[in-house]
Amino acid sequence: MNLTRRDVLKSQAIAAASAAAGISAPAAAQNIVTERERTELQWNKAACRFCGTGCSVMVATRNGRVVATHGDAEAEVNRGLNCVKGYFLSKIMYGADRLTLPLLRKRNGVYDKTGDFEEVSWDEAFDVMAEKFKATLREKGPEAVGMFGSGQWTVWEGYAASKLYKAGFRSNNIDPNARHCMASAVAGFIRTFGIDEPMGCYDDFEHADAFVLWGANMAEMHPILWTRLTDRRLSAPHVRVAVLSTYHNRCYDLADLEMTFTPQTDLALLNAIARHIIKTGKVNTDFVDKHVNFKRGNPDIGYGLRPEHPLEQAAENPDAAGGFTDMTFEEFEEFLEPYTFEYAEELSGVPARRIEELAEIYADPDTKVMSLWTMGVNQHTRGVWVNNMIYNVHLLTGKIAEPGNSPFSLTGQPSACGTAREVGTFAHRLPADLVVANPEHRATAEKIWKLPEGTVPGWVGAHAVLQNRKLKDGEINAYWIQVNNNLQAAPNMLEETYPGYRNPENFIVVSDAYPTVTAQAADLVLPTAMWVEKEGAYGNAERRTQFWHELAPAPGEARSDLWQVMEFSKRFTTDEVWPAEILDAAPEYRGKTLFEVLYANGNVDAYDVAETEEYPNHESDHFGFYVQKGLFEEYARFGRGHAHDLADFDTYHQVRGLRWPVVDGQETRWRFREGYDPYVTEGAGWDFYGKPDGRANIFALPYEPPAESPDDEYPFWLVTGRVLEHWHSGSMTDRVPELHKAYPDAMVYMHPEDAASLGLHRGSAVKLTSRRGDMLTRVETRGRNRVPRGLIFVPWFDANQLINKLTLDATDPISKQTDFKKCACKVEAA
Amino acid sequence: MWRFIKNLWTAMRRPSMHFSLGFLTLGGFICGILFWGGFNTALEATNTEAFCTGCHEMRVNVYADLQQTVHFTNASGVRAKCSDCHVPHEWTDKIARKMAASKEVYGWLFGTIDTPEKFEAHRLEMAQREWARFEANDSLECRNCHSFPAMDFSQQSPRAADAHQRGLGEGDDTCIDCHKGIAHSLPDMSAETAAHGTGPLTVTQADVPELDAYLRSGTDGD
Amino acid sequence: MRYLGLKTLAAGCLIAGIAVAQQSNISTLRMTDPLNDEMPPPMRPVEETGLRPARNYPEQPPIIPHDIEGYEVSANYNRCLSCHARAATQRSQAPMVSVTHYIDRHGQVLASVSPRRYFCNQCHVPQHPDVPLVNNTFIDIDTLLTMPEE
Repeated sequence: MNLTRRDVLKSQAIAAASAAAGISAPAAAQNIVTERERTELQWNKAACRFCGTGCSVMVATRNGRVVATHGDAEAEVNRGLNCVKGYFLSKIMYGADRLTLPLLRKRNGVYDKTGDFEEVSWDEAFDVMAEKFKATLREKGPEAVGMFGSGQWTVWEGYAASKLYKAGFRSNNIDPNARHCMASAVAGFIRTFGIDEPMGCYDDFEHADAFVLWGANMAEMHPILWTRLTDRRLSAPHVRVAVLSTYHNRCYDLADLEMTFTPQTDLALLNAIARHIIKTGKVNTDFVDKHVNFKRGNPDIGYGLRPEHPLEQAAENPDAAGGFTDMTFEEFEEFLEPYTFEYAEELSGVPARRIEELAEIYADPDTKVMSLWTMGVNQHTRGVWVNNMIYNVHLLTGKIAEPGNSPFSLTGQPSACGTAREVGTFAHRLPADLVVANPEHRATAEKIWKLPEGTVPGWVGAHAVLQNRKLKDGEINAYWIQVNNNLQAAPNMLEETYPGYRNPENFIVVSDAYPTVTAQAADLVLPTAMWVEKEGAYGNAERRTQFWHELAPAPGEARSDLWQVMEFSKRFTTDEVWPAEILDAAPEYRGKTLFEVLYANGNVDAYDVAETEEYPNHESDHFGFYVQKGLFEEYARFGRGHAHDLADFDTYHQVRGLRWPVVDGQETRWRFREGYDPYVTEGAGWDFYGKPDGRANIFALPYEPPAESPDDEYPFWLVTGRVLEHWHSGSMTDRVPELHKAYPDAMVYMHPEDAASLGLHRGSAVKLTSRRGDMLTRVETRGRNRVPRGLIFVPWFDANQLINKLTLDATDPISKQTDFKKCACKVEAA
Repeated sequence: MWRFIKNLWTAMRRPSMHFSLGFLTLGGFICGILFWGGFNTALEATNTEAFCTGCHEMRVNVYADLQQTVHFTNASGVRAKCSDCHVPHEWTDKIARKMAASKEVYGWLFGTIDTPEKFEAHRLEMAQREWARFEANDSLECRNCHSFPAMDFSQQSPRAADAHQRGLGEGDDTCIDCHKGIAHSLPDMSAETAAHGTGPLTVTQADVPELDAYLRSGTDGD
Repeated sequence: MRYLGLKTLAAGCLIAGIAVAQQSNISTLRMTDPLNDEMPPPMRPVEETGLRPARNYPEQPPIIPHDIEGYEVSANYNRCLSCHARAATQRSQAPMVSVTHYIDRHGQVLASVSPRRYFCNQCHVPQHPDVPLVNNTFIDIDTLLTMPEE
């Protein structure tokens, strides 16, 4: 761990030389090649590797190399466009430091937690890893193993991993990084509608008369959806755009109504809007009478910190955070009484007249409104509430589930919906909205998986932040991280993440294509095939499932996450991991490997490898059956006939994705609405069938203060987030030279007057400090973000600037999603 | 009352009986200096950044814009304050501009632009007034600092050097033709850009009825 | 479409990977261990070369070879188009926006730049004079075609 910058540069030079060794004559010396056979490129579709928008791209390959990418003109999502990241997809697999062999920390030829990384074979890697997992399972049981996956897993990767943990190891300690990203949206959907994911779709962009952004910097984070919104706004002059944020960002460039509010006060703004709708008689009473129930949510629910934290001790309902009771419309109206525009102004700093203007957009029955949100709402200690409260406003006015009237939760990862949510890789979920706590749901899973009764445990596993706490406390000891960079991404890194990774009791495995900061803190690093180096499927934010083929070989011995999970399962037998009572009741499972019971189960291995046709498929070649098809078809059984219908496997390879439920070959654009959704019976109008009585919930929820606010010692709000040019932790985009040079280093955006008052200049070196840690960076007082006084913004993509050393590990107590958008910090010259 | 005024007038017309001519001359001179100095000091005080940003309208709109620009912070630390661009340096022009500024005081008193929304609604009109003034005086306030003869093309980007040579050297462009919106956010320019195929921007004076009158009041001294 | 195989190339990449891996016990994007910080490099203005580097492939949006700091691109005004719009190029001598930019979502060619292409820097970005932290071994098609196939 003591390599200098010079060593790194030297190794890069060697890498460059090696790569160059493969290149013979300089291209410039040649005349243009015209021979058709030689110039022909293989073009195939694939889903973009980055955000949840789910753009389709065309990928050109030649001789096993990706040589070009561009936006897919046939794809409805993006119609030929990409953002700058998407246009550079061609280069994300070609960072010179791709991992090609497993790396294990060793000393004197054997594994040693304090040793240095050495290259080892897959056999040695899996031997050591299996030994650690077996010892942990034997000594401490299933609750001591864990896995942290991702909304970047392909559908079948998440599904296979989920099976390995929930059925194989009988541990629900598997959670995706979507917990940091979408958990509040999920809980919002379940509480209001009883079924996950948006009712509308991207077609709403072309139908809406007004757009309201509640904490989504779409101009940078969802650029292609922003092109659709911009197209609508500039093409149709009556369309209005309202942007709400805690700082002035690029979306304000298109805003007709800008509202910069004090962090956390979106709660008050939404209640003020609901109150206005009621007071002005704009409630759609017919809709509300037929399709809505009113609920009072439990208040004072704490902040998801460790139970001994004073804030948790002081809270009234930390253990019943998601609870609610019935109430009437009249009681709801009474509940809203304090939330006048003036009170909302006092809390939020937004002038009352603007709040009223926004409220009127919602209240006007002739204005079709699309509300959009992402991390500003979800990464919030009251994120579930804000989700519920946005639905409140749409439900009060009946502006929902029809073209242009659409509360729309955007996603940050390419398959947050498709994998993390639909497959149910969360610690409490199973596929198709089933949950582990429900015995009937577990029985359904066991039946489809052809497993003995009682295989899937009923306890809710540890969520993302809790996994880190348990690693630190030595309660989870064998831990596998796939497709994410959690050491860079998780909150309060110094106090709550890093200690768990380096806890001598723990064995940490990281599967990644590149040596990330997380890999740096691991004990075993597994080289991973990425994106089009494997056959994949992603599900985007509008319920669209998209497939792609394997198009290029992974370097060296890198293998997909799917291959790793399935291959690793071969090293365990049921006798080693299942209790005697299960095997006594089902003796035919004795002595079998987990591979045999989970994957060679007659479902997953049902399709011949020849069905992969002309496309390469390294997993299927290795295991001897068409792995992806078998996994997908088994998985699809969960949802078919249950409002989560997926089309058959082969169809998805032909089309540019389909939005579920896909019934009789037809996708569904607007759910819950008669005429669009086949699950809504004739004459019903709307049917929120996720709830037993078909009614959605409107929630009475109060404004409550954040977990930590600025004070004299730490006078600034710290907001973290992303930038357009980089995706998440930058492990792919920061290896593309054009993207790196477009935004080379993170920096802190400050108000010029705050900077001046601290004697700082644009470009000054500063130290940012919170109660939990500090970080060095430089001051930016201009540019794309204009922050108000008393607030700073720092992007987290930069591996050299780990801003999560400062963030607070407070979560929404209901969703367990971290609040990365507000904590207190100070700024000093460095 | 009338008698009092008459007496005073008589007294003022009479030569002094108690003070020497020298005293009176010197005293008048000193008073003159004091008055003039005071006037100028007061006038200068209205040129400071603190004065200009003393009112909310300026601080939250145009001053916030300025803080994001190269005229606020830059490599050499030379800052252009509000008056450098918006108040002529020539005395007569300055007085004329200051008199015209009484309209701004009126606007401030009566809240013409006291919200960001109202400010935006008036931004085009106000910007056009300034652009017209710059066009009329050949961007004098720009040239007070940025003179064309003093430009070193070798220190400019090739793109800028080329544009300056063609526009200022060979052509008859003036600074503001290209450099609109460099210190403040622009108003809705759709009328401007539509007329020119989103090309070069010029002021369409006919759009602003009171512009001519305003220009005359502001440039009489020329 | 089984891989045609380009062994020399694959070997080249393999060596590249090993070269880093053998030496690297650390993340190649981060220069220190996770606990210690180094002062980030100074902020540098963007490269103002005015030169147009070759694109990696024809579909790549060109990077912006000049400074765009303070350029307003908002609903009110698009500073980029004041030089790059068709009508402006005679005067500015800047490259005209590509014809694809006049095509709307439905494939229709419009009279002016399609609103969905309005915010230029969603695809086009300037470059700072930083050295990339890690080399990229992407090989463009012209180079690839000159390499021996096996």
